[in-house]
Amino acid sequence: MKKIIFTIGITGILTLTLAFTAPTVTKLVSKAGHINFFSHTAIEDITADNFKVVSTLDTETGVVVYSVPMQGFEFEKALMQKHYNSSKFLDTKKFPKAKFKGQITNITDINFDKDGTYNVSVDGEMTLHGVTKAITETATITVKGNKIIVETKLKLTLADYNINFKKGKPSTNIAKIIDVTSKSEYTKKG
Amino acid sequence: MLSGLIIGVGIIFYVFNQPHRNIQAIASDYQMKASTLVEEYFTDAILANEKYLQDEGESKIIAVTGTVASITKDLDQQQVVLLKDKNEKAGVSCTFTSETNINTKNLKIGETVTIKGVIRSGAGYDEDLELYEDVILEKCDIVNN
Repeated sequence: MKKIIFTIGITGILTLTLAFTAPTVTKLVSKAGHINFFSHTAIEDITADNFKVVSTLDTETGVVVYSVPMQGFEFEKALMQKHYNSSKFLDTKKFPKAKFKGQITNITDINFDKDGTYNVSVDGEMTLHGVTKAITETATITVKGNKIIVETKLKLTLADYNINFKKGKPSTNIAKIIDVTSKSEYTKKG
Repeated sequence: MLSGLIIGVGIIFYVFNQPHRNIQAIASDYQMKASTLVEEYFTDAILANEKYLQDEGESKIIAVTGTVASITKDLDQQQVVLLKDKNEKAGVSCTFTSETNINTKNLKIGETVTIKGVIRSGAGYDEDLELYEDVILEKCDIVNN
């Protein structure tokens, strides 16, 4: 009888411990992700990099969130960077951050305890230049030791986010659809 | 006539190829405690963005003094020094460059230091991330007192 009570007691303590600790360990944070913009036209290729992307990945629910400080994009040419930031283009003073929040729809296919590369599908909302749009994209998740790497490559139609170049050099030198690649690294919680 | 043309072409060439600002060679617009900058963003983020961010991305150059909470590396191999006191919710994240990385070598956690850089974005609580974001400074270097 004593043994049974003891077992129940231990089980109860374990259950309580798990119940109180489990929900918090599934959300991982990355404070130094990388996003690259690439625009190709017959006239020139333009590229910019940002290494200050903050993101979270919830390995249990599949919820992913990205926060991008828009003034952190660096271009090769200073003039291009000024144009990009200006009120005619991304207006980064008025809209200092872009955001994506989404859900990995096949999160249960991923075994975060086993090394490997998994293809995932993400449904979510992108907010850029003050415009929010629903998007569905694919991403790759690589599990390697205690690291989890999330990589995406997507096409972004600038006009969808009210970024329009009607005339002048930008209208001929900047692509209507640009390539966006991103990489975020997370460290599993012990 | 010809010299005018050469000067004209020269100016156009300069404008298209103008160099990036050398943040460390320019005097700071503001000097303050890291916690003061964070507090300004917590009090009124719109007002703080109005004050510190600039239209064409050439935002204010700020020298902040604070306590080193962590030293990490980003995906571009740049050193990132977070200035934040233990009891604070957010701090100032300072990203160095390939040229200035070396200057973080002797920094210690808990040490008080002054770091100068250009502001990229402010601090605040993000309800989607469910966490406090830090102020971000880039092109940083340590200011010698």
